[in-house]
Amino acid sequence: MGVHNSINTGKPITVTIDGKECKSTFGKTILEIARENDIYIPTMCYLTKVQPIGSCRMCVVNVEGVDGMILSCQEKAVDGAVITTNNDALFKERQNIMRLYDVNHPLECGVCDKSGECDLQNKTMEFNVDTQHFTARDQHRPVENWGYVSYDPSLCIMCEKCVRVSTEITGDEALKVKFGGYGSTIINVKKERNYASLGEAAAVCPVGALVQTHFKYTTNAWELEKIPSACPHCGGGCQMYYEVKQDKIYRVTNEFEFTNLCGAGRFGYDYANEGVTKDAQAFEAAVEAFKKADSVIFAPQISNEEALILQKLKEKLGFKLICHEARAYQKFMEAYAQVSGKHLYGGNLKDLSKSQGIIILGTRINNDSPTLKYHINMASKWQRARVAYMHPIEDSEMQHIVTQFIKYEAGSEEGAVALLAYTLLSDADIPDTARQALDDLDIGNLSAESNIGEEELEALRKSLLKRHGFSLVVGEDLYAHPRAEQIATWVALLERYAGFNVICVPPAGNAMGVSLVCDLDDTVEGKTVGYNVKGDFTLSALGNGDLDMPALNQQEGTLTTVDKRVVPMHVALPYGGYVLNDIANTLGLRAAYTIDYTAQLPEESGFKSVAFDDLPEYFDTVGNEHRGYLLGEKECDTQLNIEEVGELDTFDGAVIYRCNPENQFSPFTAKSPLLSEEAVLTGSQQFAAVTKLKEGDEIRFEVDGVTFTRVFRIDTAMKGTIALNPTFDMGLSASLLSSYRFSRLSFEKSNNDKIGNNDE
Amino acid sequence: MSRVVFSTWRGEFVDNRGKPSDKWDESGFKLPETYDGDTKSKAFIGWDGVAIFHEDIDAVELASKYAAQYQEYSEACGRCAPGRWGGRILYDLLDKIARGEGTYDDVSHLKEVSETMMVTSKCEIGKTVPKPILDLMEHYKEQFDTCIEAQQPSKHYNGDTSYIAKVTAPCTDMCPAHVDIPAYIEGVRDMIFTDSLAATRQTMPLAHTCGRVCPHPCEDACRRANLDEPISIMELKRIGADYETDHALPWQHPFEVQPPRNDGKKVAIIGAGPAGLTAAYYLGIQGIHVDIFEELPVNGGEVAVGVPEYRMPVEKYNKDIQLVLDLPTVHIHNNHRVDAERLKEIDAEYDATLLAFGTRLSKKVRAANENPKMKGYWGAIAMLDKVNLWSKYGIGSPASNELKDKVVVCVGGGFTSMDVVRCSIREGAKKVIMLYRRDEKTIIRNTTYEEYHEAVEEGVEFIFHSAIEEIFDDGEKITKLKVNRFELVPDPNGGRPQLQKIEGADFEIECDYLIPAVSQSADLQLLPEEWNIELTSWNTILTNGRDFMSSRPGLFAAGDCEYGPMTIVNAVGQARRAASVISRYIYDGKVSLTDEEIMEDHLNKLKVYDKSEKITGWMPGLPRAVSEKLSVDERKDNNKEVNLGFTGEEAIAEAERCMRCYYISMVAV
Repeated sequence: MGVHNSINTGKPITVTIDGKECKSTFGKTILEIARENDIYIPTMCYLTKVQPIGSCRMCVVNVEGVDGMILSCQEKAVDGAVITTNNDALFKERQNIMRLYDVNHPLECGVCDKSGECDLQNKTMEFNVDTQHFTARDQHRPVENWGYVSYDPSLCIMCEKCVRVSTEITGDEALKVKFGGYGSTIINVKKERNYASLGEAAAVCPVGALVQTHFKYTTNAWELEKIPSACPHCGGGCQMYYEVKQDKIYRVTNEFEFTNLCGAGRFGYDYANEGVTKDAQAFEAAVEAFKKADSVIFAPQISNEEALILQKLKEKLGFKLICHEARAYQKFMEAYAQVSGKHLYGGNLKDLSKSQGIIILGTRINNDSPTLKYHINMASKWQRARVAYMHPIEDSEMQHIVTQFIKYEAGSEEGAVALLAYTLLSDADIPDTARQALDDLDIGNLSAESNIGEEELEALRKSLLKRHGFSLVVGEDLYAHPRAEQIATWVALLERYAGFNVICVPPAGNAMGVSLVCDLDDTVEGKTVGYNVKGDFTLSALGNGDLDMPALNQQEGTLTTVDKRVVPMHVALPYGGYVLNDIANTLGLRAAYTIDYTAQLPEESGFKSVAFDDLPEYFDTVGNEHRGYLLGEKECDTQLNIEEVGELDTFDGAVIYRCNPENQFSPFTAKSPLLSEEAVLTGSQQFAAVTKLKEGDEIRFEVDGVTFTRVFRIDTAMKGTIALNPTFDMGLSASLLSSYRFSRLSFEKSNNDKIGNNDE
Repeated sequence: MSRVVFSTWRGEFVDNRGKPSDKWDESGFKLPETYDGDTKSKAFIGWDGVAIFHEDIDAVELASKYAAQYQEYSEACGRCAPGRWGGRILYDLLDKIARGEGTYDDVSHLKEVSETMMVTSKCEIGKTVPKPILDLMEHYKEQFDTCIEAQQPSKHYNGDTSYIAKVTAPCTDMCPAHVDIPAYIEGVRDMIFTDSLAATRQTMPLAHTCGRVCPHPCEDACRRANLDEPISIMELKRIGADYETDHALPWQHPFEVQPPRNDGKKVAIIGAGPAGLTAAYYLGIQGIHVDIFEELPVNGGEVAVGVPEYRMPVEKYNKDIQLVLDLPTVHIHNNHRVDAERLKEIDAEYDATLLAFGTRLSKKVRAANENPKMKGYWGAIAMLDKVNLWSKYGIGSPASNELKDKVVVCVGGGFTSMDVVRCSIREGAKKVIMLYRRDEKTIIRNTTYEEYHEAVEEGVEFIFHSAIEEIFDDGEKITKLKVNRFELVPDPNGGRPQLQKIEGADFEIECDYLIPAVSQSADLQLLPEEWNIELTSWNTILTNGRDFMSSRPGLFAAGDCEYGPMTIVNAVGQARRAASVISRYIYDGKVSLTDEEIMEDHLNKLKVYDKSEKITGWMPGLPRAVSEKLSVDERKDNNKEVNLGFTGEEAIAEAERCMRCYYISMVAV
């Protein structure tokens, strides 16, 4: 039996638009088909990336044999339809709509942030509205400051794009329409949260109603130079523009019609290493340090090209090359490839957003990868997807998306994923070794140890019945797990034999790119050079090392994204000091510019031999992405080797989980003043009870050899005995914090009472 | 049908101005000439025209007040450019003229903005509000001209005329519970599913249930049918309800739950079925103390013990029930049978009592040798009780003990009989036969196409135009049935065709069980004889069908025990109205309706849906979404829910087909 499709989506159709014969498929709207064929229909409320809104009515067209005017943005084209997109009557109605939009619209274009890129201005001109034709009594409507964004209701045309973005894309669900006829307005029902994701809602505003607060009244839009780039923070590599004037970034924008940018990308841009000049002495010392180094240790906030430079230096100088997060991910993916037969995971963002069933395992996804969360939210809204969230800690920010929370004990990830495989592969055609391994699982014991009830698994299995399109999103909790390779084996089985679209979310930064470019080592030895990590000699883009380096918004280069795409970054701000390529050239490599390495990225990892300047950077009229290129897929030898599930490490008592707050990923987001965020240890009431900590207590503890001094805060939305411990504020130590994400908490209060719960 | 001075309603043109009153033409529509009691209407204005009942009408003010409603009824507008600004301009310009400050430019602007609204608005309010205004501007032009030329206010400007308005839609009007259907569909379209659910619950607390098993009379009044196929209204209701459950959200109440009033007032409800639960919900949410007395150990009435699990999973129904019972002022008393003595006590103790005990007695098939005590003779209600109490609650024993490998004959044709035969299949009966007096078309009309079609797929044998003449037994149990066959014979005089027995076509069926499911009646023994409660001719409790008070003051009745066996949504609609009346009665001892309710009844009489209306401005030919069902093999031996509901894509596509046929109507009194 085929996939249930009562609405005939995908059937080939032919329609005629303005005399042009257009072939397409059923399910597409008249407007979509027009755009596919470069036929212009004016709109004010249409936003490609969300479902049709239908509030402006500008896009009306005539269809032969159908009386009245048809809303082209919403109405699907039927086979044989003959459509006219423009004539005098249509022009007149569109002109009247523009006259209505212009009624009492404040004449403040001279100071409005949107002036010069305002849809209302543009359409007012296009439809020759030169006087106020209609009148209505004006109303007093004060401006509201919502934190990251501000809302001016008197400029608002109620297109509802921002509400759609808040609902369908970012999923913060903060913005709503307050109905009230002429008095209708947009309201923020979660003002207290000050969501940075509302920047995305502001991005789609066609007028000056919803704007970035910090940007207001700072410059005219047309004075800014748009520098296309990719966001380096979480590993999503989202498309962005730095908007720059006189060596200052005023704001970040994006191709909002087709793509999305989270709060970190939009507001976390101000981290450049500024005012640096060439310090020849420090440079000499750096070269010497490399020569003497036994190990080079670096943070994943690095371009593919610089990672390749380090790899080439390793080959030349023989040092150990260390990047903890990337190495863990690399090992995980190597084990994964042995089962899946491919060197990359099979999933991608588009398929994720079209899934009807999604399982999230081993990641606090709302914090770890906003773009993944957005795509899961899209599936939740568009497909009514069942979303199972498997994690030791519930996340209230995901409640409107998640349909089943499956809690497992910290440390029991291997058991959890084995149970998942057992549940989802029960009817699958799998190799005998895998079937044997499944049959050998002691389900009762695994269920008891992981605390996942068999009835929960049955409910999960049932919720996916008769559905089509499944995705599995796994994350960083798994990569540094002591049993990571075995976990990878189970996950890969689900991709290969249960048809799951799997995404192994890379750790923050460009860890995925690093894992594909570098031959990484496991342990640090001897003398070290650190790059954005504390070493015996430290290169730092944070400005506090032995030699300054440019930050990623001061560099050209490429990033590798979670969507398996290699995308270019451009220089937003100038940099006056030395760069890694200068060191490499001194040490015997030869390249005029760092980006000379772009075409040399390893083809055996799926990179293509394309020069940096030849990388495309655009979206076509219907939103297909042409940004850099997609990594090629390489076949790998397979070898299925499933071990018995290991003894579970127990995490009794108080536990901390390495997790940054929303919008924080690294010392670079920490440096960005607009994202000011307090770094505190956050736990539930229960955690407070177990640790005998009170709100505001300051404690000291150690993780991975790094000492933390943290204030404790209670979050009443949290449950359980696991607290969130951020690392973004840890500067050059942040990247050292890379072991398994959960750890037992043994701490001292600042008054030196030793209270570690496991040591009592 | 109605006496009017002037009317343009629904395309008619009646103009009696200046005619002697014996020469007046009548309007062809049931217009609200009398508003309520002795209150006469001066005019009625709405989406399809205007009717004037009073010669001295102020047409300018009428037009301006109608435009003002467009601003008042915010829930229905402000969501498209033409409606949002156009509606305001209409009002401002009309009021300017009515104040005596208007110009002829204003008149031309009014016409221009009206045209744009009528062609491009998002919903029917925007498209229809200008129509009666333009009618008044044309046919009462002299009043407008006077205001403009003399720069004087209209003749009764700011006088003592009251204007009472109501928003409706054809589907909402046809729904017995008057659910705000376009709003909950818009919630799905907007993907703000909590708003969708809250919209439903304004008048329908049983969203899970009526999103699954409602026969959806609304779909017969869906204007989309005039264009292609009606919207799948019922199934879209389920989306919001399932969303609340799936995400473990707190109850999405339509209004804020009021704190307990603790004023000593209390209401008793007899029966925790759809009617009882609905009344409890709308009383309880206002903070009024409610006690529900339920005879069974389980809640939900006939929907719980009658409607099978595969059609209405009890865990979903329990959500609807819990929504009600979680209200702080609602209390349930199970295993509490109310007889006449107990009812007298309750009547004395409570400020009002609502009877909502349904119809739980199976009627006989009226065949020779019909003995309900004979083994094998099993009333549908008792049989479904047994099936459902076991399968849903584990009470009793499985009905397969009786039915496995047996031959079952059911006599019926309505929903209950469908439940009987489909449950019999699931309990393992060897052969299941449905005898029905009328034809296939009628059984589909009485139930739904899906229900009939699914029963056939599962192996139920339907024998139409048939009835049992005699039942045979061997002294211990039923052995066989003698069945007559009928045919429809056209009436030579042009009347309804008559069923006539076909001589010589009788046949016999050997069977183990005969399950009569022809109809049910109310068990009235709880009514104290001395109260002499007035009954209908079909032995249900008589009310006027508007306020639901019985012949005894303070004793109300709603649902099947009032109407006779009918639908869930009918019970909900009646009970909500009864709850509203009761909420006032317990304080003032009077039976009264709100303006909203009076208008609701007027519109229902007038009929909102016009099946001959031509639809413009929408693309015809977009297929109606059909949800996926379990295949026969996947469903026929178990109680899994058959209907899988819409996928997200289907739900949004279906919601986008909805034309938002909101209308504003207004009476001037």
